[in-house]
Amino acid sequence: MSRSHSHTFAVTVTAITQVTPLIKHFVLKASDGSQLPAFSGGSHVIVVMKGASRVHRNPYSLLSSPSDLSSYEIAVRRADPTRGGSVFMHDHVTVGMQLEIAHPVNLFQLDKLARKHVLFAGGVGITAIAAQLEDLKMGSVHYELHYSVRGPEHAAFADRLVKRHGDRVRIYHDSADQRIDIEGLVAAQPLGTHVYVCGPTPMIDRVIASARAAGWANSHIHWEQFSAPPVGEPFDVFLQRSNITLSVPPDQSLLEAIEDAGIDAPYLCRGGVCGECKCRVLEVDGVLVHNDNYLSSEEKASGALIMPCVSRAQGKKLVIDL
Amino acid sequence: MLIRGIKSKPVYTPLAPDLGGRTHLMVGFGVGAEPLARLIADCALAGVKKSSRQLLYVTDKSASPEMREAMQNADVEQVRLFSDSASLLTQFEAILQAATMGTRLYVSGPEAFMGLVMRIADRFNLNRDEIRAEECGSPARRVHCIHCRAATEDVTTNIVQCVGCQRWLVVRDHYSRRLAAYMGVMIDAEVPGELPPIEEVFV
Amino acid sequence: MSAVFKTDETFRGDFKYSNSPAAIRRFPLPFVEDKYMYSVNIEPHEAGPKGSIMEFQFDVDEHYIGECRDREIVLKEDPLRYQALPHMMSAQWDVLELLMDSMSRDYPGQFSLSKHGNRWTWHNKLLGIKDEFTFGDPSTLPREPLDYITRQAQGDFVVMDQRDGDLYLEAGMVTTPADWSMDFDLGMTFKEWHGPVPLAHELNVFDRALKFLLNLRLNEPVRRLNWTMTVNPRLDTSPEFYPRWGSDRATVTPDNVADKAHVRVELQGLWRLPRSNAVLFGVRCYLISIRELATIPKWARRTHRALRDLHPALVDYKGLTRYRDHVVNWLAPLDDGSPTTPGNSPE
Repeated sequence: MSRSHSHTFAVTVTAITQVTPLIKHFVLKASDGSQLPAFSGGSHVIVVMKGASRVHRNPYSLLSSPSDLSSYEIAVRRADPTRGGSVFMHDHVTVGMQLEIAHPVNLFQLDKLARKHVLFAGGVGITAIAAQLEDLKMGSVHYELHYSVRGPEHAAFADRLVKRHGDRVRIYHDSADQRIDIEGLVAAQPLGTHVYVCGPTPMIDRVIASARAAGWANSHIHWEQFSAPPVGEPFDVFLQRSNITLSVPPDQSLLEAIEDAGIDAPYLCRGGVCGECKCRVLEVDGVLVHNDNYLSSEEKASGALIMPCVSRAQGKKLVIDL
Repeated sequence: MLIRGIKSKPVYTPLAPDLGGRTHLMVGFGVGAEPLARLIADCALAGVKKSSRQLLYVTDKSASPEMREAMQNADVEQVRLFSDSASLLTQFEAILQAATMGTRLYVSGPEAFMGLVMRIADRFNLNRDEIRAEECGSPARRVHCIHCRAATEDVTTNIVQCVGCQRWLVVRDHYSRRLAAYMGVMIDAEVPGELPPIEEVFV
Repeated sequence: MSAVFKTDETFRGDFKYSNSPAAIRRFPLPFVEDKYMYSVNIEPHEAGPKGSIMEFQFDVDEHYIGECRDREIVLKEDPLRYQALPHMMSAQWDVLELLMDSMSRDYPGQFSLSKHGNRWTWHNKLLGIKDEFTFGDPSTLPREPLDYITRQAQGDFVVMDQRDGDLYLEAGMVTTPADWSMDFDLGMTFKEWHGPVPLAHELNVFDRALKFLLNLRLNEPVRRLNWTMTVNPRLDTSPEFYPRWGSDRATVTPDNVADKAHVRVELQGLWRLPRSNAVLFGVRCYLISIRELATIPKWARRTHRALRDLHPALVDYKGLTRYRDHVVNWLAPLDDGSPTTPGNSPE
């Protein structure tokens, strides 16, 4: 069965707030006035932005409460250097404008059998965690959040979280040299605890490494990491089944170039984690630049597979099975 | 109806230290002593600290006197010996209550015993990547009657009379971790009295 | 289709059950070609042709009242046919919402739902049920949400929780199973649950199906057809009650086979649930006697060939060993060897 473009629906931007020097917060309502689709904490939506020269499709976590479906909230950090999507959201999206979004997808789910939840967030990573906290607040299992931000001016969501969750939330300011004692926090948790992290890559790596060092098994460690498709060198690709050659510019992903050519390609997360867009490489003269977190290192080394949503090629020729 | 070769039948592998763990909790019954003795030796070789190793063991006549003695003097922080599985399970649950993340569970013994241990572990959200199990000793099965829900213990034959409803049940390979038992289904429901030969198969 | 809802059907005892000519024509014959083998025959669960069983997400047909009544009888005797583990409550509400929204939208003459914030009023005119409750508060319903709504729907329902890259069967209402026990399978992984299915594991069917379902998306449900055969129009062919119906199989004779033997088709639907991120597996069951089925000449030829050439492991798995030959022999004179048109439509 072909898994092509998700059905999208129209939303209207009803409020925009600059919450930190780098982060803008958007409120979206269904353009037809209806209630928005329900979702679970940890979900994201793909926002389709029709720019002047090209279409961006970026994943953003839903940070509003899953029990209030009158609107969705997302927060966008201006990426610098950038490949366009976040700059478009920051510079071109205004109140009243319409955007297309796909139905929510959850690749960062809470474990329902956990006996305790320990959550870590850094910077804009809080957006993936905020709605999870709302789900946890409805339940009876203990949870705690450790949230690290650069300084008070960056702690956009801190007050709101403290108000909602009280002493279950602890804020740490980098500027005041407050550091989360990750190693200490994972050292003595009761059996059946689950840890969740979303934030900058070094923070994610540190939480995973600390938990493993403390003996945690993988089934208890969860993280959300949308690797934004990195800027890369331009390259050409030949799509064997479609019989067409495309040029992928530096600021565009392989998947976006394929879509711009009007070819339906499967995708789900657009962040190199779900495996949906996995594609066979038929020929490569040069090297594959694997930026995903899905393929195993053996699969990456084999050169037989590529994840077009985040990965690229360097060299003269790439032929894929699409 | 598929009787053998059902994929829900658990697959067991020889016990080996999981060096990712920080506390190593070993639980055994009878002849389960043998894999545990090997595991404890391998732990020592791999540099797993003695202080992180604990042992709970049911002394059963299926183990040789030498093995029983080996368990008594096992090279672990603490040895707890029990005369039956019920008292071991009570103690085991109390230990899990106080245990922390980083714990690995190793179980060894007859499958019916291991099933009961793992059922308790499930309640503490110990996942499959935190548990290792090696089957040894009697392959006798615990059989859950699908009709009256009674459990018949120590079943060694392909067909067994249910202790609850007295029906003759064929023992299938279909295994439930939640019930810690194999499925037993009435064998002569289609033609009453039509029973295939009863054979010792789980011995 | 504007079905006339029968009020006096039974699926046990005197087996007062039949299909109207319209119901026969919309029957989903499971054999899309003359030979049957497993396939990952999954397709989007999109609206089918008007009047077809796939027109709506949840088909309600002329057998609705009898099927709901049969479910009540089973549950009274064996309450464990409905079970939900404690962590499945948000999924229960998801299912309740999905069913109420769909049924009231698609069958406004039979079901209605009004929502004032979280205060909902549900009216089931076919069963004479009207309840007002608070969505999200189980104490305002007479039963748990999944129990409540699936007593008012045709077909079995199973809910799977997603975690650790697997799907765990952890809630469900199963009173019309084709010889599998939810009580026994509760808590199992996807592949453990499907353990007793022969051949398919070797074909990697479940690896592929699981991978596919883990990525199942909201608003993009999928469906497939599955089938077996049943002696008498009996819905509850559960292992629990096998001592009661097992002997049916030995009662089939060349004389009664056309009325006793039924093809049983399951329209299996899969939905991602929004609040719980769980997956709903719906199994809607259709029964047709061989005599009814053979009123469509193409189906008589097609079914004759598919059953005659069925793989021996499937004959055993589907419990056909004792009477398959009777069915094939009865259908043989109706098969003149002429070709059948592609697909499963009546012609």
